[in-house]
Amino acid sequence: MFARIRSTWRAVTRRTAWEQDLEEELRTHVECRTEDLMRAGLSREEAERRARIELGAHETYKEQCREAQGLRWPDELQQDLSYGLRSFRRNPGFTAVSVLTLALGIGATTAIFTVVNAVLLRPLPYPHPEELVYVQEILEKFGATPFVDVNDFAAWRDQSRTLSPVAAYTDSWFNLTGGGDPERITAGLATSAFFSLLRVRPLTGRLFLPEEDRPGAPPVVILSEALWKRRYGGDPSVVGRGVTLDGKVYTVAGVLPHTFVIPAESKFDYALWVPLIANETGAGPMGVVRVIGRLKPGTSLETARSELNTILRSTRAGGPEGWVKGVALSTWQEQITANSRLSLLLFLGAVGFLLLIACVNVANLLLSRAATRQKEMAVRLTVGAGRTRIIRQLLTETTLLALLGAVLGLALARAGKDLLVAFISPNLPALEPIGLDYRVLGFCLALAVVTGLAFGLAPALQASRISLNEVLKEAGRSASEPRSSMFFRDLLLISETALAMMLLVGGGLLFRSFLRVRGIDLGFRSKNVLSMTVDLTPSEYATPKVQVAFFEQLMERIKGLEGVQAVAGSSCPPLGNRETTVTGGLKVEGQGVAMPDARTTAVSPDYFRALGIPLTQGRYFTDADRETSSSVAIVDESFARRYCPGAKCLGGRIKSWVRRKDWLTIVGVVANARDSAEAEPHPKIYLPFSQASEPYMTVLVRTAGNPKLWASAVRSQVASVDRNQPPHDLMTLEDLRTESLTPRRVNTLLVGAFAALGLILASVGIYGVVSYYASQRTHEIGVRMALGAERGDVLIVVVWQGLRSVLIGAGIGVAASIGLTRFLQTMLFGVKPTDLVTFVAVALVLLVVAWLACYIPARRASRVHPMVALRYE
Amino acid sequence: MDHLTDLLPGTLDLLILKAVSLGPQHGYGVLLRIEQVSGGRLQIEQGALYPALYRLEHQGMLRSEWGTSENNRRAKYYRLTAAGRRRLRDEAEGWQKVVAAMASVLSARPEEV
Repeated sequence: MFARIRSTWRAVTRRTAWEQDLEEELRTHVECRTEDLMRAGLSREEAERRARIELGAHETYKEQCREAQGLRWPDELQQDLSYGLRSFRRNPGFTAVSVLTLALGIGATTAIFTVVNAVLLRPLPYPHPEELVYVQEILEKFGATPFVDVNDFAAWRDQSRTLSPVAAYTDSWFNLTGGGDPERITAGLATSAFFSLLRVRPLTGRLFLPEEDRPGAPPVVILSEALWKRRYGGDPSVVGRGVTLDGKVYTVAGVLPHTFVIPAESKFDYALWVPLIANETGAGPMGVVRVIGRLKPGTSLETARSELNTILRSTRAGGPEGWVKGVALSTWQEQITANSRLSLLLFLGAVGFLLLIACVNVANLLLSRAATRQKEMAVRLTVGAGRTRIIRQLLTETTLLALLGAVLGLALARAGKDLLVAFISPNLPALEPIGLDYRVLGFCLALAVVTGLAFGLAPALQASRISLNEVLKEAGRSASEPRSSMFFRDLLLISETALAMMLLVGGGLLFRSFLRVRGIDLGFRSKNVLSMTVDLTPSEYATPKVQVAFFEQLMERIKGLEGVQAVAGSSCPPLGNRETTVTGGLKVEGQGVAMPDARTTAVSPDYFRALGIPLTQGRYFTDADRETSSSVAIVDESFARRYCPGAKCLGGRIKSWVRRKDWLTIVGVVANARDSAEAEPHPKIYLPFSQASEPYMTVLVRTAGNPKLWASAVRSQVASVDRNQPPHDLMTLEDLRTESLTPRRVNTLLVGAFAALGLILASVGIYGVVSYYASQRTHEIGVRMALGAERGDVLIVVVWQGLRSVLIGAGIGVAASIGLTRFLQTMLFGVKPTDLVTFVAVALVLLVVAWLACYIPARRASRVHPMVALRYE
Repeated sequence: MDHLTDLLPGTLDLLILKAVSLGPQHGYGVLLRIEQVSGGRLQIEQGALYPALYRLEHQGMLRSEWGTSENNRRAKYYRLTAAGRRRLRDEAEGWQKVVAAMASVLSARPEEV
C-alpha cells in the first residue's frame, strides 16, 4: 500500500522526469525492434517505420501508463483546477460576487467560531485540565451556587480520597499603602494547595507553604507579575520584603508569572494572593469560598460527587440541617463557561443562518451560470466526457470557489475577531488571547469544503442532466430552462427568505427587549452624577464614630468645590454590586411574614434629594438623626406594599440585623429606586449612615456639567482628609448604567448585524433571481406587449413570479420562528417569544425589501421596447 | 491456429510475470521472450505491454531499474518481487486447474456421462 502511494506521489510530483523515463523506455523498444527487423533483411528506414507502426500511438500509452499507476484521479483534478481557474478569469463578475458572498459568510462564521473555540472548546491552560473540577452546593431555595460554606470545604479537604487535592479561593480587596500612592487592589485568597493543584511555578521566589494557610501563620503574599512590574519595577529583591495591606504587613514570598490566569465568569485581575485561612474569620465576611479539586486519575465525576455528598452529610449531621441539599460537581471549564455558553451558541446559530443564506445565493448564481453553460456542457458530453466527470469538474470548481472565499473569509475573520473581542470580551471568560489556532483553521477549511459541496451539488447535477439533442438543436437560441431547474430556483428563493425571516425575528425580539430594558425608569436621576467609592482601612477606622467623621468631612469638602450641586453618600451605590441583601434577621412589628427580606442601605441625609428619589410619605433623614438619637428608617414603596398593612408604614417599627437590639421607627416612604433594570425592584430599607455606619461608602456628586471634569478635584479631596485612603471606581452613573446594559447590547447588536447582513444577502439573491426570470422571459414579454398587454400587466407578472416564492418563504420563516424563538426566552425582557408587534414589523421590513428587489428588475424588463424584445435572442 | 492474438483477460499479466521470472528483462525483451517460449504462437500487442508493466510495477509485483542492454543501450529492466513471485505461483496454479477442467470437459465422451 505504502509503495503504491509512493509511486503515485513520485509520478505526480516529478511528472517531467516520469515522462522522460517512459519516452526513453519506448525509444529503446523501437530501437531494439528496428535492429531485429534489419537483421531480418529490411532497410534501416523501412525497419524504423515498421517498428514505430507496430508499437502504435505512444501518447495513448502514456495516458494508460499513468492511469495504471493510479494517476488518473490527480491528473484529472489538475485539469479540473486549471479549467476552473480559467473559467473564473473569463467571468470576473460572477467570481467576485460569489467569492465575496462566501467570504462574508465564512468569515463571519469563522470569527464567531474563533471566540467559541477560545471560550468553550480550548482546554484550560493548566496541566491535565480535564481533571480539574469545580464544587458547588445545591441550596434548597436557589439551586446550585458557586460559593460553598467554608466548613464544608474544610471537611472535603481533610477527608476526600477521590479529589486530591481540594483547594479553596475567593476574591477580596485591600488597601495597599506605603511606597507610593495608596491603591485599592483586587486580591485573591487561596489555600496553600491551590497553586500546587494547578501546578503553577513562580516567576521568582516561592508559592505558599502547606502550613501558611493555618491560623496564626506569619502573613505572606504572592505578587502578580503585573503588580510587581508596575509598583516595584520588577525588582527581584522585593521577595522577602514587607508589603502593607489594610494596615497589616505581609512578607512577599514570590511572584506569579503573567501567564497564570484564573478563569472566571467575568474579568477579575488578581493583583496579589494571600493565604486563605479556612475558617469563618479567614474566609471573608460571608464565610463562603469557591472550591476546586483535581480528580485522581481514573476517578469519575459521579464517584467524586457521591463521596463529597457522603462527607457533607456526616459533617452536617447533628448540626442544623440548613438548606444545603447536596453537591453539584462539574469540570471547571464547564462551570466557567456556563453563563456565556448560551450567548455564544446564539451567535453561532445566527451566523450559521447567515452562512446558509450566502450559500443559497451562490447556488443561485451557479444555477444561472449553468444555464448559460449548457452548450459548453453539451459539447463536452458529445466529445465523450462522462456525466460523473462533468459533475466532478463542476464540484471542483465550486469547491475552489469556496476555498477562495475561505481564504478571503479568514482574512475577514482575522480583522473581525479583534473587533468582536473588543466588543464582547468583557463578558467572556477567555483565558488566553483569542486567536486563530489550528482548530479555527481546520474549521474554516471544513466549512469551505462542506459549503462548496453543499451549494455546488444541486447546480452540478442540474447542469449535467441536459438533453444533448435539444441544446445542440437550438443552435443560436438561448436555451430555455428545464422545469426542474425553475422549481429548484424557487426553492432556493423560498429557503433564503425563510432564513432571513428567522434572523430578522431573532434580531427584532432582542432589539425590542433592549429598548424595553433601556426605557425602564430606574427611579433616580443618573445624569451628571459622579460616583466614587472609598473603603477605609479597617484597622485605622475601627469605630463607627471615626468612620462617620471621615465621610462627613469628605462630603463637606466636596460640597465646597465650585460647581458641585449636591453630595450624598451610600453604602451601596445605585446599580452597584455591593451585596447587602439580608434574608432573615428582619422583623416587621406585628407582621407574621415568614422570613421577610429586604436590602439594607446606609445613606447620608441628602441622598434622596441628590438622586431625585421622591418622598411619598413622612420625612427624609436630617442631620438631627445621630448615633445618639432614636433609631429611624425609611422604606421604599415595594417594601411598603409587601410588608405594611394597607401600605401604611409611617410609625411602624422594624428590626434589622444592622442595629440588632433596637426597634427602628419608619419615618418616611420613598419611591422605588432600582438596582438593576432587568430585575424587579427589591424591597429596600434605608438607614441613616450616622446610625449604621460601614467602613466604606460610595460618594455621589451631582455636578453642574459633565461630571468627568470634576473627577480629579473630587479624588484629591480624599487625599486632603487622609492621604492613606485610596479612592476607587471613579465613574459617572451614566457610564455605570450603560455598562450594566453591555451584555444585552452586545447580543442585540451582533444578532441584529447578522440579521441585517442576512436581509441584504437575501435581497441581492431575490434581485438576481428575478432579473434572471425577466431576462429569460424577454421574448415572451415582447410578444405580450406586441399583442397589446399593458406595461403594468407585464410588471405584475414578473414581480409576482418572484414575490410568490418570497411570500411562501416568509410564511415558512414565521412558522419556524415561532418554533425556535422559545430558545431565546431567557434573553428576552418584557417581550414574548411570539411578540406580534415584532413579527409584523419584521415581516413588513422583509416584504418591502423583497418587493423592491423584485420590482426593480421587473420594471427594467417592462421598459423594453416590444421590437427589441422580440428580436432578443 | 498459429497466433493466439486474443488473449483471455488476465493472461497478459500472468505471461509477463512468467517471462520476467526467467530473469530480469526490459520491455522489448519480455515481448520477445513470450513469443520465443510460446514458439511464436502468442504474440503480445506491443501497445498493451507497457501499461501492463506499469500496472504490475505499481502493484508491487515488479521492480524496475535502469541498466544496459546487450546491445549497449540504456534500458529499463524489470525483475520479479517476492509478491510477484507469489502471485505468479497462485495464478499459474489457478490456470492449470482451469486448463485441466476444460480438458476433462472437452474430452468427455457420451458413455462417460
